[in-house]
Amino acid sequence: MSPGAEASPPRQEEAPLLQADSVSIQFGGLRALTDFNLAIRKGDLQGLIGPNGAGKTTAFNVLTGVYRPTRGDVRVAGRRVNGWLPHQINHLGLARTFQNIRLFRALTALDNVKVACRAQGALHVEGADLGAKLRGALRNYRDWWRALLLTPGFMAEERELTRQAERLLEVMGLSHRRDEEARNLPYGEQRRLEIARALGTRPRVLLLDEPAAGMNTREKADLMVLIRKLRDDFSLGILVIEHDMKLVMGICEQITVLDHGETIARGAPEQVRSDRKVIEAYLGDNYLETHGGAA
Amino acid sequence: METSSVPTPSPGGLPPALRGILPVLIAVPVLLLFDRLLASAPFATYLLSIMGVNVILAVSLNIVNGMTGQFSIGHAGFMAVGAYVAGVLSLSFKETALSFLPVAASDQVFLVVALLAGGAAAALCGFLVGLPSLRLRGDYLAIVTLGFGEIIRVVVQNTDAFGRALGLSGIPQTSSLAMVGFWVFLVVLVARRIAYSSHGRSLWAIREDEVAAEAMGVDTTGYKVRAFVVSAFFAGIAGGLFAHFVPIINPGSFTFVKSMEIVVMVVLGGLGSTTGAIVAAVFLTLLPEALRSAFTVMGAEGSLAQKVDQIRMPVYGLLLVALMLLRPQGLFGMKEIWEVLPRWLPRRRKGLA
Repeated sequence: MSPGAEASPPRQEEAPLLQADSVSIQFGGLRALTDFNLAIRKGDLQGLIGPNGAGKTTAFNVLTGVYRPTRGDVRVAGRRVNGWLPHQINHLGLARTFQNIRLFRALTALDNVKVACRAQGALHVEGADLGAKLRGALRNYRDWWRALLLTPGFMAEERELTRQAERLLEVMGLSHRRDEEARNLPYGEQRRLEIARALGTRPRVLLLDEPAAGMNTREKADLMVLIRKLRDDFSLGILVIEHDMKLVMGICEQITVLDHGETIARGAPEQVRSDRKVIEAYLGDNYLETHGGAA
Repeated sequence: METSSVPTPSPGGLPPALRGILPVLIAVPVLLLFDRLLASAPFATYLLSIMGVNVILAVSLNIVNGMTGQFSIGHAGFMAVGAYVAGVLSLSFKETALSFLPVAASDQVFLVVALLAGGAAAALCGFLVGLPSLRLRGDYLAIVTLGFGEIIRVVVQNTDAFGRALGLSGIPQTSSLAMVGFWVFLVVLVARRIAYSSHGRSLWAIREDEVAAEAMGVDTTGYKVRAFVVSAFFAGIAGGLFAHFVPIINPGSFTFVKSMEIVVMVVLGGLGSTTGAIVAAVFLTLLPEALRSAFTVMGAEGSLAQKVDQIRMPVYGLLLVALMLLRPQGLFGMKEIWEVLPRWLPRRRKGLA
């Protein structure tokens, strides 16, 4: 393909950092997601809600490359990433947390974050050019040698990684857990460590999958403050999946509502809250009949 | 996993360039001295060499099975590749010598070249086997490596250049205890430094949660393949060493039984523990000898003592069953001996220290 055939999108700054363009995904006969659209720019704080099984996590998995969309395009920083591997998409600046916490359980809190910090610098995808691939592979093997010989460069890099990871632990209020194995942390701290680890990959967009699950009211309130702070301090775009309405309504500027894989509403929190379809999906249509419409 | 994040415990105040290779500088004279001391004890030398080869195999397999959490069961195949490539090379250069060096030194140069060639051939095989199968998750690697081990054995059995089922004999016996010891030392050093580096952390991360590692930007396939290549390289080296101190190598030395023996060592020592692999390899090398001596002492008059090799596998099996019941994580779990041992000594418990 000639370089001109796929021209870079005009006015790169204005292209959303993360964009889903009528993405559909189908597992056999099951349509898990239909015509899903989304655009996240720097500084956005958006919510993705819906009843159980609505396709929220599926949407996350399509965006991060775990699944390949059946139709439609996913674009990260203006580049079409259909069929890319999750780590390649991550290198473009998209990081996530998991609904069911997936930390590296036997590693210390610090090492969890260091894995992420390091991986970011390790490899950059520059297309499928064979020369670039070869250079990348050679550099990877050279890195092994540097580790084996403990070269000054290696030691300096190691110190730098430790410094970065310590800073992120501090931001997430986990400094006192630095050398503790991740599996020994209390639940709420494990959730925060997952966010610290995601930040370690230096993302531009952060996807949080039910960050408040299992937290008490107090922790949820703290989390709301924290999410806003992260967006401002790291100038991120953030997309949150959450069941807790109070949290989503409290922090998100725009909310997308999914039901059975279809987008049934989108807009500001007040708008979504009073949307007829949303109330139906969440509370059942009987609710409307007995209560005479949305409040 | 280590609680310390400092890369390697290294002596302070040394120039950095020296610090990286300091352990090597210390090890070489020590090994040479050791070699001299045991020169008049051929059986001890032989047994220690076998032990060394087993340690290399176990420690290198631990990089894949322990640190990365993949399950390879064809390590003897890579050992065979190394043994035959190095063996054939040494045979064909048997009569040549480097004129500017004393004969003994020239022999050692050829040995090292042959070993490296064997290691490289094994590493290449590791790459070719690993690339397709490590993309997949779970049991595929086990199946593919199992197949690979058998393929190598069958290929060797049917190739004239490799002496078919009779094997190769007459390979110059240039290996020494010092040479084996040096490679043991090298593989342990490599394993430790990988474990403490960012590569090691990525490998541990893959072992802990592959999906999360991938989502955090770790090129999981790449790391797995590189770990596998390094592991295969050292298996090849071990094979090459083996070929240079046993009188004859034949396909019977590299069967599935040998592969399982190495897996047992790694599991016994604790998946992920380098020192565990070493202890287990030493223990399982000495076990048959101990059994042999025990039977001889009990007066079984040779007949039973000769059968030790046959009853070895059932003993391993029993050992594994007992281990799974009593200590499923292996001897040391993921930890190293110096992290585990203090906890086993009652005096060092909290409150009494």
